[in-house]
Amino acid sequence: MKLSRRQFLKTTAVAIGMPTLIPASALGKNGSVAPSNRIVMGGIGIGPRGREDLKAFLSNPDVQFVMIADVQETRREVVRVMVNRQYNNQDCQKTREMFDVLGRDDIDAVLIATGDRWHAVASILAAKAGKDIYCEKPCSITLRESQELADAINRYGRVFQAGTQRRNVDNFKFAAHLARSGRLGKIHTVHAGILQLDESHKWLAAEPEPAIDVVDWDRWLGPAPWRPFNKDYVNGRWRGYYDFHGGAALPEWGAHTIDLCQWGASADDTVPVEFEMDGQTIYGRYPSGVKLVMRRAGFRGEGNWVVPGTCPIRYEGSEGWVEAADSGKVAVSSPSLLEPGTPAIMAGTDPSKHVRDFLDCVKSRAKPAANADVTRRGHIVSHAAAIGWRLGRKVQFDPVKETFVNDDEANRMCSRARRAPWHA
Amino acid sequence: MNVFALRSLLPVALVLSLAGCTTLPGVRQPAPPSPKEATQLAVLASPAEVHEKARACQELAAVAGPASVAPLAALLNDEKLSSYARSGLESIRDASAGEALRQALPRLEGRQLAGAVNSLGVRREQAAVSDLRMLAFDPKRGAATEAVAALGLIGTPDAAKVLQDVLARGPAELRVPATHAALVAAELLAKEGNASAAKSLLDAAAKAVPAGDLATAVRNRKAALTARR
Repeated sequence: MKLSRRQFLKTTAVAIGMPTLIPASALGKNGSVAPSNRIVMGGIGIGPRGREDLKAFLSNPDVQFVMIADVQETRREVVRVMVNRQYNNQDCQKTREMFDVLGRDDIDAVLIATGDRWHAVASILAAKAGKDIYCEKPCSITLRESQELADAINRYGRVFQAGTQRRNVDNFKFAAHLARSGRLGKIHTVHAGILQLDESHKWLAAEPEPAIDVVDWDRWLGPAPWRPFNKDYVNGRWRGYYDFHGGAALPEWGAHTIDLCQWGASADDTVPVEFEMDGQTIYGRYPSGVKLVMRRAGFRGEGNWVVPGTCPIRYEGSEGWVEAADSGKVAVSSPSLLEPGTPAIMAGTDPSKHVRDFLDCVKSRAKPAANADVTRRGHIVSHAAAIGWRLGRKVQFDPVKETFVNDDEANRMCSRARRAPWHA
Repeated sequence: MNVFALRSLLPVALVLSLAGCTTLPGVRQPAPPSPKEATQLAVLASPAEVHEKARACQELAAVAGPASVAPLAALLNDEKLSSYARSGLESIRDASAGEALRQALPRLEGRQLAGAVNSLGVRREQAAVSDLRMLAFDPKRGAATEAVAALGLIGTPDAAKVLQDVLARGPAELRVPATHAALVAAELLAKEGNASAAKSLLDAAAKAVPAGDLATAVRNRKAALTARR
């Protein structure tokens, strides 16, 4: 019989008896967590945003982070040093090869914070390897990938949390509570702040490829189609390019704000049945008749939102409205809505509660707030809206079949070939 | 036909001729391309840079019809452009796109072969089942893992039979990928009303991989199948 890591630790402790010189911390005393109750983690592709997530993971005493895989030497070394400093040892291993992480039986869960082109494929590979997954957003580069990712998570029974942490940020939770509890009356319109829609097909000038141990360019590209190396891409300036950044940049914030609208409209189990364009604003309509307005927001307060901050959302009902954004604030149509109390200010980018939610679910096997199913639909909305924008016309969508209705042109934009050998 | 119309068809004629699509007795000629398609086909037929051809393939993925099949298939062996060309071929509904991928298999190697196999899976190309069976049982071609994954995506009773064969008699290193593929195929079979074929396939997978997380996934899928019945 093959034993799980935890069973192994328990069984061997009984079978061989306890040695006398085990430190108290290893036994879970002195406030530390016993090894049998720790979640052993590895990382795949951790850059600046991923390090914010990692910081949140490392602050939990029941997490033991043991290995980082990254195609860039500088990034894996930064993470290795960061982890070793946290644990005051030299135990964190680094590797260029993500399969070194996925192949380790002792690793329970992975943090995936690569670029978008890798999110779905790496998550599917991790699910196949029996790992639970916290994956940064957007989690898919096409509509089809959103489906494949959720299907794989469900197929292998893994715990998945998308890095759409605003589902666990207080002011957004409070706003959703007002909408879902009926305190705003019957919800008729939800608003999602989105960045300016754009996609570039340009290639940057070719530069000599670095040595594979410095930057593994072929693996950096992964499932994305070939193009020549340029250091700008690997230095984080890959956003805006069609091959690396799906959905015309709509999922960049839409992964958060549309997801929150799905939640606030009590529409986590469906998606809009049509999308209509008006310049940079896209209107969706849910089967219930609720209107989804995806409209411009930005880093400099674009879009006439009441609450300052990035990633704004607004829920409007027959009895009032509420708005929230990354500043941590909320605005409401009436002060009475703030009772029983204004939520504590918490920045929308802080993933600490979201990370804790994931860790608790790894132990309980429950579904976290941004699980694979809600992520599937939230991302499908982003991609479907972006396809409508690309076509520049109204499109109809079937929320059950998850395809455009009688629209071959739109349906053909739902997927792209992955560069071999990568597949779902 | 006016002069403009004639001029707009010249690049297409050139493309079709370069791609070996000139009239042959008994061979059905594809319908003429739309103007948008013709523009992109002209780029593929020209000495344009790799980037321009890549872009043309991406544009074709949205508009291509049968007339684009041969020019796109001609790029399947191109290290830089093959995945762009496959996006086009995956999106063309006409059966000729699947046939072109299938016909290309003997002349492709390495990643290009793996890519074409993946595309046959994405297209759920039933006519490719016997080709994929050969690849699954021929380790020298180096695409056995991709072949079983593609069989899983095709997910028909015929594809399931091949997967059962691989699970029972294939090389040991294919058992895990074939079990992953069996899970995918079982979902499709059940969805399309072939629950008994799904169950037989899962039984074979359970024998091939009897323990571990993957075995749990197989057991859970079987339980879901039973509950659904």
